[in-house]
Amino acid sequence: MYFQLAFRNLKRNSLRSSLAVVGIVIGVMAIASIGIFSANLKMTILSNFQNVTDEVLIYPAYTLHFRHGVVTTSSMMYIDRRTADRIVKLPYVKTYAFVKSTFTTASYRDEVFGVRVYGMSKKAVNRMFKPSSGFIRLSDSCVVGYDLADRLDLRVGSRIEVEGHSLRVSAILKKEGARFDVNPNDAIIVSLRDYDKIFNTQGKGYNFIVVWVNSLKDVSLFKNAVEKTINGRVKKVEVFELEIIINKINKIYDFVSRFLMAIAGISLLVAGVSILNIMLMSTLERTKEIGVMMAIGAYRSTILKLFLLESLILGMIGSVIGALLSIFGGYIVDIMILHSTKYLLSLTTVYYMFEGAFFGLATTLISGFYPAWKASRLEPLEALRYE
Amino acid sequence: MREIIKLIDVVKIYKIGSESVYAVNGVSLNVSEGEFLCIMGASGSGKTTLLSLIGCLDRPTSGKVILDGIDTNKLSERELADVRREKLGFIFQQYHLIPTLTAFENVELPMLLKGVPKLERKRKIMKLLEIMGIAEAADRKPSELSGGMQQRVAIARALANDPEILLCDEPTGNLDTKSGEVVMRLIKEQNERGVTVVLVTHDPEIAKYAEKVVRIKDGKIIAEGLEAIY
Repeated sequence: MYFQLAFRNLKRNSLRSSLAVVGIVIGVMAIASIGIFSANLKMTILSNFQNVTDEVLIYPAYTLHFRHGVVTTSSMMYIDRRTADRIVKLPYVKTYAFVKSTFTTASYRDEVFGVRVYGMSKKAVNRMFKPSSGFIRLSDSCVVGYDLADRLDLRVGSRIEVEGHSLRVSAILKKEGARFDVNPNDAIIVSLRDYDKIFNTQGKGYNFIVVWVNSLKDVSLFKNAVEKTINGRVKKVEVFELEIIINKINKIYDFVSRFLMAIAGISLLVAGVSILNIMLMSTLERTKEIGVMMAIGAYRSTILKLFLLESLILGMIGSVIGALLSIFGGYIVDIMILHSTKYLLSLTTVYYMFEGAFFGLATTLISGFYPAWKASRLEPLEALRYE
Repeated sequence: MREIIKLIDVVKIYKIGSESVYAVNGVSLNVSEGEFLCIMGASGSGKTTLLSLIGCLDRPTSGKVILDGIDTNKLSERELADVRREKLGFIFQQYHLIPTLTAFENVELPMLLKGVPKLERKRKIMKLLEIMGIAEAADRKPSELSGGMQQRVAIARALANDPEILLCDEPTGNLDTKSGEVVMRLIKEQNERGVTVVLVTHDPEIAKYAEKVVRIKDGKIIAEGLEAIY
């Protein structure tokens, strides 16, 4: 009956009530859609890194430099072969890749260009990359990255010259997303043996090692093992877990998503003000009724509850509709910005729908409280006489 | 006979700006159980204020209002609401029905506030509407009813929780003579069943239903008995 009474009071001025609901719908939809979009954006970005989370990079301790997000090492500094062998024999290591790397000049036909050269085993290249054309062969050959091939118009069979050595292009790799280990897009990859021949680095060790562990939880175990057995006396290597980056990205995008949602929250604030407004008007219009209710024995708390219930009904309707429409809103934003909706139907979407609805309800309750309180504080006699 | 309403030197002062107005100025009054009291007076005489004080809608500035042996000055706001709901029934000149509720639901409201079970509510509402002769209007909203019918719904509402006292403020003031008579007969019937009635009016015709009449002017009782009617 209270529910019925509240519902009928809302229906009495259905246009006004509908407009208030529309306000809540827009507010909830804005918050939830943006939440859904940010979550999908994060998932899209993380998907680029998903396959490297079981990776651990190991650099010589004193040569770690960051430049433009790419880790570079001084060519003077290496992980010596003995240490390298000990590292890859540690438990938790599933497989690994020794990498030598330097920046040099190369030429193709008449064009001379700066290029990064990696020395890696064929097995490691196969594990990390896929060719877009040709077959990966490294003896007296090389594979080149997609962007480099594109820029120089390289084909399978082309010959490039690096430090006086002529290398045949055996394969052109597929374009890769941003990576933290080996960035092949603008690089040349040769075998470790050829690398030593070209750069005269026989016996000098490796610039870094990529280690794949058995599972994510092994990352920290492996790291501890390295700290204990390799870095026991002198800090020889630096362990760099990619999981940290994933966590950082998570944090940044959570922050971005909160920020965007807060902006969307302004629309909910406006909706809250409109609820406040219509409930205050409703209180004023129904002053006499409130007096009657009190005259027939209603407590002040009953009046308070009745008016709160009215706000709550508006909030419920608006929040539910808004939350449902936010799937649609998320779909449109995803299509427009991400050009993909593959992450739309996920648990986080449901989470943000609930969160939007929660904020919608909370807003209506907060803004409905003052009018309800005001109504409950009326003096019965004055309310009855109100014209 | 038990004294169900007892007023002892009741004063009510309203402040209008810096001026103090004595709406009720030292009224003492006894009403026995089952009595029909009519309070007569011109508009502005303080008769409605007096009714509000008896009805626990307002508190006196000084003096005592004792209902059924309870000094209402000592009751909290919540307890006053209990008294209004359990012991009193109000009938207003403007009917004061809730426009969004049907006749049935308007009568139901006091019972809901009291917590009467659903089946009992339904049984009693239909009985009350039948007594009032408006059972067929149960599902209609106040706006679909004539003034006389609305007032009969209001009487049914006032009777919903079996009050001991019925407080009527010009119950026929907005009605034509014929509807007024119907309404008065219904109120008188309740009185004959043992309900104490306090009725406020300026109409001498209405006062004839009462067994006790007082006339009030400037907040004071100036006459009692038959001479108070005219």
